[in-house]
Amino acid sequence: MGQASDVELVRLARGGDEAAFSEIVRRHSPRVFRTASRFFRRREQVEEASQEVFLKAFTELESFEGRGSFEGWLTRIATNTCLNMLRSAKRRPELTLSDLTEDEGAWLDTHTAGAAAERHERAVSSAVAADLADRVLDTLSPDDRLVLTMIDGEDAPVKEVAEATGWTESNVKVKAFRARRRMREALEKLLG
Amino acid sequence: MRDEHIIEMLERGPLSELDEGELAAVRAHGARCEACARAYEAARLSALMLRERAAERFEPSPFFQTRVMAALRERRAGKESWSLARLWRAAGALVSSMALTVAALAALTFLGPAAADAPSDAPDIAAVSETYPAEELLLQPDEVSENEMTYEQVLSTIYEAGE
Repeated sequence: MGQASDVELVRLARGGDEAAFSEIVRRHSPRVFRTASRFFRRREQVEEASQEVFLKAFTELESFEGRGSFEGWLTRIATNTCLNMLRSAKRRPELTLSDLTEDEGAWLDTHTAGAAAERHERAVSSAVAADLADRVLDTLSPDDRLVLTMIDGEDAPVKEVAEATGWTESNVKVKAFRARRRMREALEKLLG
Repeated sequence: MRDEHIIEMLERGPLSELDEGELAAVRAHGARCEACARAYEAARLSALMLRERAAERFEPSPFFQTRVMAALRERRAGKESWSLARLWRAAGALVSSMALTVAALAALTFLGPAAADAPSDAPDIAAVSETYPAEELLLQPDEVSENEMTYEQVLSTIYEAGE
């Protein structure tokens, strides 16, 4: 089963072969986890979203026509499933300076000061920055979060975002432009 | 004064894509414009934070595959029983009305003629009315009408009249 191609595994899984679908899960779960990590920060949330992605993929196996890669097809399901999960969740209200933890406030202070970044231990600093980023992203729309994380965070090309979401490339560009503005404005408010 | 050209440069693409000339222009303008300097600072921090956030990854646990397959079996089982329940709900009213109709027809077929042939427990009204006065039919034997005289009363009335 481990040697079978994705297309062959899909064919077997459609026929009710559980072992084939289990192999699909094993093979593609790292990528699905990576996609879910763009939207959720806690491990249990990422795992729950990833499970939902595979369950949805199983019910939609018939729609995989084999024209593109299975990985691309699954990534699109993963992206849309996570977007829908976030859309149905309540968005956080605007983040204010008083909402920040002591570490987050310190991180902003040191990094706005410029060269003082070295004052913080690197690992701690990264975790705080990621935490702060997530809190700001929580105040934006799920679409904003996705384009910012992929394009500005991962350096993903616009085309990759378009493929993962099903949006047109120009739509991705417009969304990214607006998302950057909203993220910048949210941070400017925090900086005072 | 805030320069929309500088702001547009900050929002057009990731900050890392600005070339040296563009970055120099942003910094030079920021040196004399507080609003644009603040916008640049926020954009720089945003890019830094997003990179740290994007670097965070989770790897699937060894049990993830088993968990998904268990959830898949559970969901399929739930869906099958749900489908049966839905089918029953849809057909239930029809099946119930058909069962009632069959029961009514059976009752009419088997119980109807038998009921007609069976001896009646009801009294024959004509015969009763010829044999007994209506008063006796209405009153129990131990009941006595208020207007009726007892045997002793009749005798005493006769003797009193004779005296």
